[in-house]
Amino acid sequence: MTALPSIFLVLLLLSVFLLGFHTLRQSSRTRDLQHEIDQLKESLRRSREYAEQQRAKLAQRSDLDTVKDEFISTVSHELRTPLTSIRGALGLLSAGLLGNVDAKAQNLLRIASTNTERLIRLINDILDLERMESGRAPLKLRRCSMYDLAREAVDTMTTMADGAGIRLELVCNAPRDSIYFDADSDRILQVLTNLLSNAIKFSPAASTVSVQIDSDANSLLLKVVDQGRGIPADKLESVFDRFQQVESSDASKKGGTGLGLAICRSIIQQHGGAIWAQANQHGTGTTLWVQLSRSARASDTGAASLAALPAERGEGLILVCDDDPGIRVVVAEQLRQHGYDILEAGSGEEVIALANEQTAQAAHGRGTGEHAPVPAISAILLDLYMPGLSGWETLQRLKESPATAAIPVVILSVIPPTDHPSRTGGPQGWVQKPFNENLLLAELGRVLRTHGGPGRILLVEEDPELAQAILEGFHQAALRVDHASSLRQAVDLCLAATPNLMILDLTLPDGDGFSLVDWLRRQPALHSLPLVVYSSREISEAEMAKLRLGPTEFLDKAKIKPRDVEALVLAMVQRMRNPAESPVSPVA
Amino acid sequence: MRHILIIDDEDDIREVAALSLEATAGWDITTASSGADGIRAAADPKQRPHAILMDVMMPGMDGPTTFRQMQQNPEIATIPVLLLTAKVQGVDQRRFAGLGVAGVLFKPFDPLTLASQISEALGWKD
Repeated sequence: MTALPSIFLVLLLLSVFLLGFHTLRQSSRTRDLQHEIDQLKESLRRSREYAEQQRAKLAQRSDLDTVKDEFISTVSHELRTPLTSIRGALGLLSAGLLGNVDAKAQNLLRIASTNTERLIRLINDILDLERMESGRAPLKLRRCSMYDLAREAVDTMTTMADGAGIRLELVCNAPRDSIYFDADSDRILQVLTNLLSNAIKFSPAASTVSVQIDSDANSLLLKVVDQGRGIPADKLESVFDRFQQVESSDASKKGGTGLGLAICRSIIQQHGGAIWAQANQHGTGTTLWVQLSRSARASDTGAASLAALPAERGEGLILVCDDDPGIRVVVAEQLRQHGYDILEAGSGEEVIALANEQTAQAAHGRGTGEHAPVPAISAILLDLYMPGLSGWETLQRLKESPATAAIPVVILSVIPPTDHPSRTGGPQGWVQKPFNENLLLAELGRVLRTHGGPGRILLVEEDPELAQAILEGFHQAALRVDHASSLRQAVDLCLAATPNLMILDLTLPDGDGFSLVDWLRRQPALHSLPLVVYSSREISEAEMAKLRLGPTEFLDKAKIKPRDVEALVLAMVQRMRNPAESPVSPVA
Repeated sequence: MRHILIIDDEDDIREVAALSLEATAGWDITTASSGADGIRAAADPKQRPHAILMDVMMPGMDGPTTFRQMQQNPEIATIPVLLLTAKVQGVDQRRFAGLGVAGVLFKPFDPLTLASQISEALGWKD
């Protein structure tokens, strides 16, 4: 009976104690929360500030573009106006419409007329090049037949060829129905007529200029072969630079502007293709090569016509982050239809949390093997302008954290690809809104191929036995090594899938390693490709500078055995994968 | 005989264009150095032109503005107008196309083919 009050007493004391403890914990929890709220407020303020800066920069840039457009339009107008009077006056006089002039005066009028024409062409070419290189002349892509375009170019140039006593021939070595590709037909026609016009100008009378078309699985190849005076070996590349003619007198003698091949290169580059010159192996003359991918690349701006392309199927877990649920739903649905699994996040904070959680679970699942494995995130699609953490800040935090740094990030934004202010590494891909479904799939596919999975090495080596010896060295390594035995094949393989490293022999049957490096340098996805130059020829300092892309090593075939190439390449790959202390969790 | 009105603020261009059309096609030419003068000349019943060739950039009323005013005047609204411009940028061309002019020709023009370019743009067979 006496035990009851004491039990009450004990219970009372216990509840007082618990209450006190709870209050104590509560207040420490409140402090934590307050701290967290303060931190969030601070990061919110910073991201707002940052977003504001970005918006201001963007507005500034678009203002600058308008000013530049206006300036070019005005300069062009101001140059054309006096030229109109000059051309008109000279044209009428030299045509003899206003009475005859004596032979000497006639000759002077002819000189003034031809040079006026040259000046007009020059102004047109400069504006053309400027428009293209500033991206103000987007490609109007559609499905074209290489044969039809070549036929049209040959027909257009027949009058000029006849005048010079030169025969034009068109040879199609590929089945006619296999040479369709995505292109801006007017632009490609411009390239072809330009190449033909050059070939005709520099060919002797009674010779033949031949246009040849070939194709393989990924690309189309067009050659313009002439029997002209040829291009010296040291000028084979520089002829594509502005105002670089083989002889300084060519401009006045041949009436060119010195910009023709620069324009050709610009156009072909915009199409994601390659153009290069090679001296003919037999006899004199030059071959101009144009290589174009069958399907337009994701970097092209003429997105509309990409709809005709078959979309690629993918696999992997994609984390889609956009604060607009409408966009999330659309993107998620499109990706699901093409075989991807989707996780959705509505904010930068959520992306970071989900990415960390998923990566931890995936790592854990792999270790135990008890449960069905949790998949790792293959890539993150990230919006830039979001309330809270901005896309840029989210990207930076993902790249800073060892658990998530290896996950490739594709930006999905209304703004075009821009320089990122982050020091921790930029995004691996970019899709501009409003986006085309195929463009999104192509870019995601490209990023996954490039950044996910095992490394891919491209070996460019003419000698099959040597190539075999090098390939054998890589037998054990978990790397995919593709082999190209020609310049053309190398470009082809690069277009098919971006390699992570290239081993390059300088002597190739259809050109040289310098042309290939030059082409690589102009490809957005390849310009800093790690390179191992494996050559038997002596390479000068100047040549080394020309060959440098990303991290570049020079190996002498006389000193380094083929099988030892592997060790060096693997060391490079290792360095690429772990640039500092970044995590070793290859994305599956 | 065809009669063309050329409107351009540049004296030299007016003269060269007029000479070229007279010499190559034998057309009758009237010229005006501003949009306002051009409208007056076109509205003159004694010298009503078959077509008007007009510069785009002119001080005062520019080509497009002059064209719009011409469209308001029933006496001259039916005369076909060709714009002659040194602005060859794509944006400019699209802007002109939306005006409703009969065509756009570019400077610097070839004096020997200007007349045939005009005939072609207007569908003149002779």
